[in-house]
Amino acid sequence: MNHKETTKKYYLELEKFDSDLKKLESNNELHLSLNDPYQLHDLCEFLKKNFELRLLSIICSDEQKLNGKFKIRHIFGSDVDDFFLFVISSIDSSHIYFPSIYDVFPSSILYEREINDMFGLIAKENPNIKPLILHDFPNDVFPLRKNFKLNNIVQGNLKQFEFTPITGEGVCEIPVGPIHAGIIEPGHFRFSVVGETIINLETRLGYTHKGIEKLAESMPINDVVFLSERISGDESVANSVAFCQAVEKIAQLTIPKKAQQIRLLFAELERIYNHFGTMGGILADIGFPYGASRLNILKEQMMQLNEKLSGSRILFGINQIGGVKANITDEMLTCIHYVLDDAFQTFEKTFDLLKSNSSVMDRLRNTGIIEKQTARDFGLVGISSRCIGIETDARHTHPYGYYPSINLKQKTPRETMEHQVELQKQIGDVLSRFMNRVNDLRQSKNIIDSITTMENDELSIQMNGELTPYSSGLGYTESHRGETLHWVMIGEHNSIFRYKIRTASFSNWPIIEHAVLNNIVADFPVINKSFDFSYSGNDL
Amino acid sequence: MKKNTGKKDHFIDMSFEPTTIKNPLKMDDSIAANYRGYVTLDPNKDFILNDKIGKILENSCPTHAITYQKDDLKINLDNGKCILCGNCQVKSPELIKITNKFDLAKKRRDDLIETFSMSVPFGKTYDELGKELKNKIDKIFGRSLAIREIDAGSCNGCEIEINALNNPIYDIERYGITFVASPRHADILLVTGPPSKNMERALKIAYDSTPNPKLVIAVGACACSGGIFGNNYATTGGIDNIVPVNVYIPGCPPRPQALLYGILMAINKSGFA
Repeated sequence: MNHKETTKKYYLELEKFDSDLKKLESNNELHLSLNDPYQLHDLCEFLKKNFELRLLSIICSDEQKLNGKFKIRHIFGSDVDDFFLFVISSIDSSHIYFPSIYDVFPSSILYEREINDMFGLIAKENPNIKPLILHDFPNDVFPLRKNFKLNNIVQGNLKQFEFTPITGEGVCEIPVGPIHAGIIEPGHFRFSVVGETIINLETRLGYTHKGIEKLAESMPINDVVFLSERISGDESVANSVAFCQAVEKIAQLTIPKKAQQIRLLFAELERIYNHFGTMGGILADIGFPYGASRLNILKEQMMQLNEKLSGSRILFGINQIGGVKANITDEMLTCIHYVLDDAFQTFEKTFDLLKSNSSVMDRLRNTGIIEKQTARDFGLVGISSRCIGIETDARHTHPYGYYPSINLKQKTPRETMEHQVELQKQIGDVLSRFMNRVNDLRQSKNIIDSITTMENDELSIQMNGELTPYSSGLGYTESHRGETLHWVMIGEHNSIFRYKIRTASFSNWPIIEHAVLNNIVADFPVINKSFDFSYSGNDL
Repeated sequence: MKKNTGKKDHFIDMSFEPTTIKNPLKMDDSIAANYRGYVTLDPNKDFILNDKIGKILENSCPTHAITYQKDDLKINLDNGKCILCGNCQVKSPELIKITNKFDLAKKRRDDLIETFSMSVPFGKTYDELGKELKNKIDKIFGRSLAIREIDAGSCNGCEIEINALNNPIYDIERYGITFVASPRHADILLVTGPPSKNMERALKIAYDSTPNPKLVIAVGACACSGGIFGNNYATTGGIDNIVPVNVYIPGCPPRPQALLYGILMAINKSGFA
């Protein structure tokens, strides 16, 4: 089914809800403008009932300069069709309330808290409207409003934050963080335990908030690529590709085949080195240093390969708007294949050893189980959703870049069936996340192996002229953590008016509060590592 | 054939002008520019080491001072064996440079060995840095140096590299350095990030809880200056705006060798010695 037919299908269904809605189609997107923001709740219930849609993000932008209103865009996406639905509502600046949809799509709670922090708009019915990102900030500071200057010094009455009190006989509280014992990023965890068992966990993040979205609005558009690489150091390729794709969509730029191919190769290399690292981390957390060391050696090998190919061990400086900066020649491709073959031989040996080691498997099995319904409610993406049998993979559902062109071996009906059965068997514990990572690794290797020659093409093309002011585009990639969305709205003179980033970490973080329940405190590190969250990618 | 008469006279006369060189260490200009004093491995920019060059160099040396390690593409030059024949320079002028330096004496035999490896074309290898660091740590701290890493809002790129120091390839513990779990156990704080406003308070508390004497190392461009994030509403534009910094390690992110070099410099600079 091509884009037109898919959009048409949804379009016709939506007619049933309200035929007066303003609708706009473009490629795989359908934009609905609500006349009254309070239609939103009904529409969401309608969507939930009739389609299998997932809430991807809620984007607010301060468009008071243009039409005196705040615009709130709810983005929904399908995991079956290549389709995105934008529901746009306008909020008067005098009226600071907007409708919450937490009872239909519970994942909206975090987005609504974020909007409350950054814009000062209040989701009226949302029961949990605590500050999310800004900590020691005054109550009346809303950084993403246009009248707030980037380097304002903020002072005034500070925001209050209270952890939900958990009381009862024998209940103990363990505060952890923001500085943790290991070499990891900062975040605060408040455990409530009875004996050793965790009965409640409240996370408080936002410690690495660096004002990326605001900063982008003051930077030249070509420099924002560097900023997007530094959203999360280990997802540099995924994030910069998503940003570049968003801008290229606005500019209606088709980048050369070779550039697409190079982006794909680097994206898969990034996935491979990070999965090696995460699996090593999981093994280190359960006290199996032999396996951890083996996998960390592999990670280091991949990082050295990265450096030889691109000049950066963590793949910074590869993308630019209109193409790529780093070249991969045919000889380099042979080198990639050679190094990967070598690494995967060691990996398979190590993996065989792990599988036959009962102390490893017992520790991973049945630890940190998540429920399928909870996973759906929170709109989990990537490995975290696949571990409970929900397939989300932007590479398949929303093919971008070079992914449609690679010719992987077609699955036979039997294999497809087996895959489905495998999916149903997933129980959402640490082991299933571990195994899904192994599958992901093997798939990445197959993708890279399927590329045998480089396209004969340019590395990049120039973006000509000025972009249409106030046009917007959505870029999406699949990072090693899952679906990554970047939404860009262009301002005047090729500046950025609004840059909204939603990494996979932001969608996946809330699940940790559920995954640790009924586990012992000592298992928290391995459960946390098995999800592989990025703090920086969440806090921005 | 015959020596000139002036010298002969001089010899007969026996009344010497003072010919002892004053301050011999400083008078370089009395040494000929082409004096073969110090053989060094100083590659040209486009020099690439391969098996062929390695073999040629090895064979060129009459005393086997030059050894070539095929597996890790390394050239070792042992100045203790070198008889300054200059043969190697003739065979490979792109790599071998001979200067008229003479201050070659070293306290340790190992220090006379110079290494050129393909992965680190300039400066010292990771291992050389590590050994130097180990000696220092042995002397000052008696075998162990404790480091606490603090992420004050970095993008996690620097954390990847600091973590890499602990992997089996770099294995920083063999030089006596351990990463500890609490600032209370630490000699050195390794701080990354621009740092964010939200981490300001935590960073100050961690600094205050570290016992004196302590050192702070700012790791990465963000920690040195705020980096790409600069000084905005959510960041503070460099670690030194919050706590005093002893050494700055630039880079985005700095590679493990660079981190080790920075730690070495911090100890050299410190009041510990």
